[in-house]
This record gives sequence, structure tokens and C-alpha cells, in this order.
Amino acid sequence: MLDLQLASLFTVGFLIVIGLFSAIFIDNVIKKLMGIAFIEEGVNLFIVTLGYKEGGIVPIYLPGMDANWFSSTAAYPLPYGLVLTSIVIGASTLAVMLALTMVLYKKYGTLSASKMLASREESELNE
Amino acid sequence: MIEYLIMIIAVVSAILALVQRDLLKAAILTGISGAAIAFLFQILLAPDVALTQAIVGAAIIPVFISLAIKKTRRDDG
Amino acid sequence: MNELIPIMVIIPMTCALLLSLFSNQNKLIKGLAFFVAICIPIIPLLSNYGLHYFGGHAPLISNLTGVLYHPAVTYSFQSLQKLFIFLLGILVFLVVFIYINSYKKASGPYLFLIFMGTAAITALMLSDDIFHMFIFFEIAALVQVGIIAASSIEDRYETALKYMIMGSIGGPMLLLGIGILLAITGSVNITDIVYAINHNLVSMNSPVFLLACGLIFFGWLYTSGLPPFHTIKSAVYSKAEPHAAALLQAFTVITLVSILIAMFRIFSNLPIFEALLVGFALLAMILGISMALTQNDFRRMIGFLAVGELGFIVLGIGLNTEFALTAGLFQAINEMIVTALLFIGFGVVADLIKTSDIRKTGGLIAYYPKLAIMILIGGFSMAGVPPLNGFQSKLMLIQASLSSGFPEISIIAILVSIATFVVFVKVFYAMFLKPKPNDLVIPNKKVPRSTIFAMAILLIMCIILGLFPSIITGYISGFVGGLL
Repeated sequence: MLDLQLASLFTVGFLIVIGLFSAIFIDNVIKKLMGIAFIEEGVNLFIVTLGYKEGGIVPIYLPGMDANWFSSTAAYPLPYGLVLTSIVIGASTLAVMLALTMVLYKKYGTLSASKMLASREESELNE
Repeated sequence: MIEYLIMIIAVVSAILALVQRDLLKAAILTGISGAAIAFLFQILLAPDVALTQAIVGAAIIPVFISLAIKKTRRDDG
Repeated sequence: MNELIPIMVIIPMTCALLLSLFSNQNKLIKGLAFFVAICIPIIPLLSNYGLHYFGGHAPLISNLTGVLYHPAVTYSFQSLQKLFIFLLGILVFLVVFIYINSYKKASGPYLFLIFMGTAAITALMLSDDIFHMFIFFEIAALVQVGIIAASSIEDRYETALKYMIMGSIGGPMLLLGIGILLAITGSVNITDIVYAINHNLVSMNSPVFLLACGLIFFGWLYTSGLPPFHTIKSAVYSKAEPHAAALLQAFTVITLVSILIAMFRIFSNLPIFEALLVGFALLAMILGISMALTQNDFRRMIGFLAVGELGFIVLGIGLNTEFALTAGLFQAINEMIVTALLFIGFGVVADLIKTSDIRKTGGLIAYYPKLAIMILIGGFSMAGVPPLNGFQSKLMLIQASLSSGFPEISIIAILVSIATFVVFVKVFYAMFLKPKPNDLVIPNKKVPRSTIFAMAILLIMCIILGLFPSIITGYISGFVGGLL
């Protein structure tokens, strides 16, 4: 059986590769943005995986616990604190991108990235 | 055992979301992937992060995407 | 007074929130914005050098190993930070001054973006913690997108979306690199990471360490607009309002410098790192200048020139001698001033005559003589004509590359400077000297007085720094001495 940490890292790899593939190669803008959400989730999962300790406990210090025992068995809490911020940043970035997509849909009537970009290049040449 | 199942769900629903023709279904599958990752955070000893991810990944992001789809179009194209 | 160090970030951020709160009271937000814009350059002058630990968590000494480590987010304020934050403050003041004078109704959300960006960039410069830098990196990217989307130039939303999609690939890559560094050193504090690396607690040649270097480097390339992101970065500049473009390039330069210094401290022992920096610097210089030569839109042209100038900064750091580092950072300061001057000048012209195509312009010197002279001197400074500031820093860079044994690089740098001069003379001729085309309508409007005032201040700074470069280089070499 695979080690949990290693299996989790494989999940990270799959999520990032799927996300990068869709963000670069899929034409539909909404699907591009979904791919970006997957990349962010993958990176967050990576950082959480760093803090995990085999057979550890949740890093919350309760009264009555022995400090030495706690520090040797609890998971490393620093990465968990970082991920909270990064989740919120990811969601807000996605919201702004979706808003821009809605504005652009009104202008072009399509969600295809290549069509939006193509008309942009043409108008630049005509300037 | 359940943790490996959850990892497979997270990856497979991400792939299914991207091959889906109907964007609304794809948004829901994104939510499933986010929820699976929230469970995974719980298993990896991070309950506080799991709580945030459950709200953001399983509820807020799919709702945002479905709102955007409602204002634009539902089919892939 | 060390308490002033966090205030440099807190004041613009609070001001931004207040401005957005009271956005329907025009007079109030104009007054508040003006007052805070005056305060921002003054605070770094009053503050003392030193460190600030958030929450008062001073560094601890580990019982087991006797190693000092930092549990708190640390801000480090030294001479370089003082210089850059002061200059950023001056630019913010000029931009806010232009904005509140040229629009009758000030927009609260727009001023929110300007001040939030200032706070984010100040924090990036001060921070000694890589994750903290990542947060403000993302905020700065969002602010830049907001500033573009708030302008009134055609095709701004397309550029904004494209910039954000690239950013959401670059940002997570930077975070992944930070995660790997956290995994191999157990800390996100740069001083701790550098300690671990210098005491061989981390294997220098491990592929994981190289991967972290590559990922952080990729994120840095995105935010500083070096190739392969030079096209989108110059599009971003050309889609913003003129005063906002001046601020955006200052944001870019400071982000570039702050992340580059962090990377330099962590990765400078890697043999490949300097080669990477010099390679990308030369690529940026050559691509920037050759793209600028082919453009017909003078805003895009200045955008590409600005990207090309970034190459000189990176070149100075990549050469890795004390003199070269000083030269590179001095070039960063000159570039901030000169490019701001040119963006404001060219942007005002484009706003007045409603076109930015050099094939349709001409004969403007009879209408805007003051503007023409200021733009001419600014362009000479960017191309490196003595005795202006661009000449001083480029001369230092060329001397540095000669003395570190790379005469080829100095030849390329001289050629790029000459090409910059050619591009600039071409634009200047097409805009101001060439006979006026018949279909060009020149509106009966004067150049706003606030714009002339801002440009004059920037020009005076150019000339003073050109005549007395030691005002700045003293500060920089003090910092560089501590860095190496």
C-alpha cells in the first residue's frame, strides 16, 4: 500500500497537470478558469501535505497535554496557516476573472478564447 | 482505505469536469472535486483548513462559476 | 522610531479602505487622498533603520541546535528600502495630484486601487518573509488588473483577462516554489532559509532545490514582465491611463527589485543562477528593443522600451560584483523616474489628439512646445545621453561588465542604448517635427497644468541625479555591502 503522504503528492501532481493542460490548451474561457482553480487546489494540497506527520495529532494544544509529547507528535502547523490565506486569494482571483469573462461575453457573444484574442489582434492591426 | 478513494474522486471529477459539454454539470463536478480535497485536508490533520476549503471549494467557487454561466451560455462553444 | 516601519503599509491601506467607504463624498475623498499622498513620502524619511517583528515575537534561540530563528513576520527597513519607498511615495503623490486635478469627480474605488497598490508594493519591499511576499504579489497583480479595467481605452478588458490568466499560472508556480523551500528548510523567513543554505543544512545540488529556484524564477518573470511575458506587460502599460501607467511601471520595477533581492539572497550560491539572470536580461533587452522598433503605436513603443530597460537592472544583479549590483539598483531608480516621465508625457499627447499611431501624427511642436522639450530630455535620459541620470547608471553598468570580464555584454548594452536612441528619435520626429498631416485635428485644449508640474518635478530629479549620482549611490552601496 502506498504511503499516505506519497499518494497525496501524486494527487497534487495530477491536479496541477490537469489544470495546466486545461488552462493552456482548452479554448473555452470558463473551462480555462476551472483549470486554474484546479492548479490552485493542487498547490494548496501540496503545502498541507508538507505539514502532515504519520501517526500525528491535530496541532491544537489542549490543557493537560505534556508539552514535549505534544511537540513530538503534533503535525507542523505553519503550512496550515499559510494555506488558509492562499485559498481565499485563489477564490477572489477567480471571481475577478469570471467578472471579466462576463463583460467580454457581452462584447463578443462567445466564450471561445481564440475568437476573443483573434478579434483583439485584428483591431490592433487596424489601428 | 477511504483516503485513497477520496484522492481518486478528486482527480476523476476534475477530469470529468473538463471533458463535459454542459458547463453547468462541469461546475458541479468542480464542486465535487473541491469537497473531496476538503475531506483530504481533514485526513491530513488540518481541520481548520478543511473547513475553509469546504466552504470555498465546494460552495463558493461552483456558485460563482454557475452564476457566470447563467449570465453567458451553458453549452461549450 | 522603529514603530513607523509597519505604519508605511498601514497608512495607505487604511486610507484605501476609507476612500472606498466614503466614495460618494467627492470633496472628502479628494482631501483625504491628497493628505495621505503627502504623508507617504515623509514617513520613510522619519523612520529609523531596523527590524520590526509583528506581534512582538522577537527571534528565539533553539535549545537543541543553538540556531536563531524568527517566529514572526519580519519587516526589514534599510537604506535601499528607504530610497525606494521614498521614491514610490513621490510618484504616488504626483499621480494622485494629477488625478484629482484633472477629474472633477474623483472615483473612490479608483483611488482605492492606487493606495492599495502602494501598500502592497511597500510591503513587498519591506518584507523578509517569502510567503508574505506572495500574498502582496497577488494583491499587486489584482490591483494592476483593476487599474487597467478602470481606464477608458479600447480593448482593456481583453488585456486584463489575458494578464490575469497568465498571472494565475505564474502565481501558483511561485507558491509551489515557496512550498518546496518550506519543505526543505522548514521556514518561510528569508534570513532563516539563507542560514540553512549557508551552513550546508540543504544540499545545493539536489534537484528539488533547483526546481524551487526554477518555479520562483518563473513567477518572478511573470510579475516583472521579462520574456516570455514582455508582450502582455507592454500591453498592460499601453491600456492604462497615462498617470496610471507611470505608477504601474513603478510597481513593476519595485516588485522586480524586491523579489530579485530575495532570490539573490537565497539562490546566489547556485552556479546556474547568475547565468539565468544574465541570459534573461540580454533576452529582455534585445526583444524589448526589437519589438519597439516594429511598432506603430507610440504607447506600445514606450511600453516595450520600458521592458527593455528592465533588462539593464537584471544584468547588473546578474554580474554579481559589488559595483555591478550598485549600478543595477541605481538603474532601477533612474528607470522608475524616467519611464514615469515618458508615460505621462506620451499619454497626455495621446489623450489630447485622440490617436496614438505615429503615421497619423506630426507637427505637434508648434502646439505643445513645453511638452516636447520635456519629452525630449526624458528620452535622452532613457537612451543614456550625458549628463542625465540614465547615462550615469548605464556607464556604471558598462564599466562593471568590463571589469568582471564580459566585454561582449558591454558591447550589447551599448548597442541596445544606441537602438533606444534611434527608436526615441524616430518617435519624436514622427510626433513633433514631421509636417502636420491634413486630417489630424488638434483640439483647442491646453495641457493640464498639474501634468506639466508633475513632469517638471520628474525632470528636475533626472537632472539632479545625473549631475550628482553620489546622492543615491551612497545609499545603495551601503545596502549592497551588507548583502554580499
